[in-house]
Amino acid sequence: MFRAIRHLSTVSAMRLADVVIIGGGPAGLTLASALKASRSTSQLKVELIEGGKLLEGLREFGNSPPEDITNRVVSLTPATVNYLEKIGVWDFIRYERIEEYDNILAYDGVTNSRIEFEHVGIATMCENLNLQSALLAKIEDLGESGCPLDIHDSTKVVGIDSAGNGWPVVELDNGERIQTRLLVGADGFNSPVRKFAGIESRGWSYNRWGIVATLNFKVDSFRQITGWQRFLPSGPIALLPLPNDMASLVWSTTPELANVLLKLSEEKFAAMINAAMKLDPEEMKYLYKLAEEDDNSLVDSISWRLSLFNNKLQPEQHELYPLEIESLVPGSRAKFPLKMSHADTYVGPRIALVGDAAHTTHPLAGQGLNMGQADVQSLVNCIETATERGLDIGSTLALEPYFSERWPINNAMLGVVDKLHKLFSTDFTPVVMARSFGLDVLNTVPFVKDFLVDRMSSK
Amino acid sequence: MFSRLSVKSIRPLVSFRSLSSGLTSISPVEQSHFNQLASSWWDVNGPQRILHKMNLLRMDFITNTIKSHLVLNDYNNMVNVAEEEIYIPGFDVGLLDDAIADSVLQDQETRRQELLRGMRLKCLDIGCGGGIFSESMARLPYVGSVKGIDLSEEVLAVAKNHAALDPILEKKLSYDLQAVEQIDESLEQYDVVSMFEMLEHVDYPAEVLKSAIRLVKPGGWVFLSTINRDFISWFTTIAMGEYVLKIVPKGTHTHSKYINEKEIEEWFDKNPEFEVKESKGCVYLPAYGWKFTENEHVGNYFMAIKRVTK
Repeated sequence: MFRAIRHLSTVSAMRLADVVIIGGGPAGLTLASALKASRSTSQLKVELIEGGKLLEGLREFGNSPPEDITNRVVSLTPATVNYLEKIGVWDFIRYERIEEYDNILAYDGVTNSRIEFEHVGIATMCENLNLQSALLAKIEDLGESGCPLDIHDSTKVVGIDSAGNGWPVVELDNGERIQTRLLVGADGFNSPVRKFAGIESRGWSYNRWGIVATLNFKVDSFRQITGWQRFLPSGPIALLPLPNDMASLVWSTTPELANVLLKLSEEKFAAMINAAMKLDPEEMKYLYKLAEEDDNSLVDSISWRLSLFNNKLQPEQHELYPLEIESLVPGSRAKFPLKMSHADTYVGPRIALVGDAAHTTHPLAGQGLNMGQADVQSLVNCIETATERGLDIGSTLALEPYFSERWPINNAMLGVVDKLHKLFSTDFTPVVMARSFGLDVLNTVPFVKDFLVDRMSSK
Repeated sequence: MFSRLSVKSIRPLVSFRSLSSGLTSISPVEQSHFNQLASSWWDVNGPQRILHKMNLLRMDFITNTIKSHLVLNDYNNMVNVAEEEIYIPGFDVGLLDDAIADSVLQDQETRRQELLRGMRLKCLDIGCGGGIFSESMARLPYVGSVKGIDLSEEVLAVAKNHAALDPILEKKLSYDLQAVEQIDESLEQYDVVSMFEMLEHVDYPAEVLKSAIRLVKPGGWVFLSTINRDFISWFTTIAMGEYVLKIVPKGTHTHSKYINEKEIEEWFDKNPEFEVKESKGCVYLPAYGWKFTENEHVGNYFMAIKRVTK
């Protein structure tokens, strides 16, 4: 008898929604809160499905955040921050944990030519958790003021199907089924929504790994708050500023070197970062070898080489390099593969893709998350306009403008980042000379540089 | 030049009574043309794409018209004093300081949204075809119900089948095989009566207009769109649209049936109960879509006419 009832309840547990968002990352949560914050779309029935455990961790972060900065940090462009302000999410950010800075100093590891970008608030460093927890706080705040939104975490999508009327039906691992007018894939690089829609994604792996970590600077002299980036033949290494004299590391390197670096003790790893920000690529090769053998002389060898390097600098030249790293925040090291990919389209009948589900990029320009935020902004505009016009928001007529607005911009950005990666990951002399000439010239021609800064901060 | 809507028209108007069957507002030729289009009506990338795109402009035109003619401070019907204290200037704010103007505009917009939220408009869509406009209208929160009527059984079947796909439409949208003159005005009155891309397909447009405006509630609206009878419209809608670019199905238009904006305006001028409130031209740009123009006397145009007296 009980079995029969349970069986009935699973069969009849089909409910309707206007928008189902798969994925509770920054893109999915931003889309959810923007839809609920908009006058035109706040009455839509929106549900968000996330496979991992999400809500508890985000609420905990919101109530009592850890002392140390967590290791997944993103660089937000002014355009992204503006949008988060506009939809009322920025009010919920923990300001004491973000760092806004005005300078980026990039230099070539082979020739030492450099370029400096300066723009008030060129970027804001923010932990993923800080951003996501602010988004959740905003969503819960909107829920209290009459625009509720269902978020189901620890809930996996076991299947996506089409109903008789052509609407997608999302089947969850708890037996529930949701029939939705519009299904949005904010479900990352391997997007199941993209696969359901039969949308092809093309790209390649860079055969590089990104290593991230949170670091403490050794504060023994003055530096402006700056984002530092050095191009080494194995890939760029960047130290991006965080509050309390901390920094976020993004070190892109070959899979072999990544394995070596991840096996080192945290003390040796910190020393290797200091070496990589200053020493000659030839010296680095020798140090990588020591590191591979896990030689105990590694730390001493690096400090000896750095003291030689520092002694040669004129007093004013010290400010051309970042402060040295004192230590790692314990356990903050992690790695991820770097790839570039782009979906053939972002929309289909009752389907839209945003963020990594639509495109992935090399992190060297810190644009990945920001591109996703711009996608969300454009998609929300589209849904607002379509709602005001009484269109079916799942029809391609309603969704087309999102694709035609975002695809060309994203494609250009993916291309530029890809070329930059290829340009700087070589030590082939003619290319090195050309690029150094390029950097030096760029640095002295103000209007070209202004254009680049403008693109990066996309005001 | 002969006016299509005047009594001296080259094709003499028959009186309402003489339309014995009531279904003669559209010629059999026109009807069979639309029947052929039925199956692809809802394919937004198919032969009716240009109509789907035009629908976006219709919706903008209606929403903007209704919103801009809302009375923000109705002193005659003030219910309580508290409301009177919140004075929202209804005048042009262009002369004010930017910050003040912005905040006044925002207050106005908020007030308009409030008023819209309270409305449940009853709409009649004459010549609804496959229901592109009827469906959009029915999805708006401030629309209570939409009835679409047409003379072609085939396209109505398409409209009904398509509406059944979307659960939100179930309670708000209905379709009927009916001529406008068959509707009894003592039983059915509407806030919005629409005739989009329709007058240029009927044989006796004045009769259709006359039948349609009977059904408008006092304070209600007539929205229509059709095409001026000029060289430009022949060139764009027939020569280019149907024959060169082939973005409009061949045989959709008959140039002699087009009606000038001026003719409709003059027709309404004779009726003191109605006022033409808005008139807007529009043009199709192949790479862009439909766009409003400043000249309603050339090519396609939209009109909004309000029933002002009781």
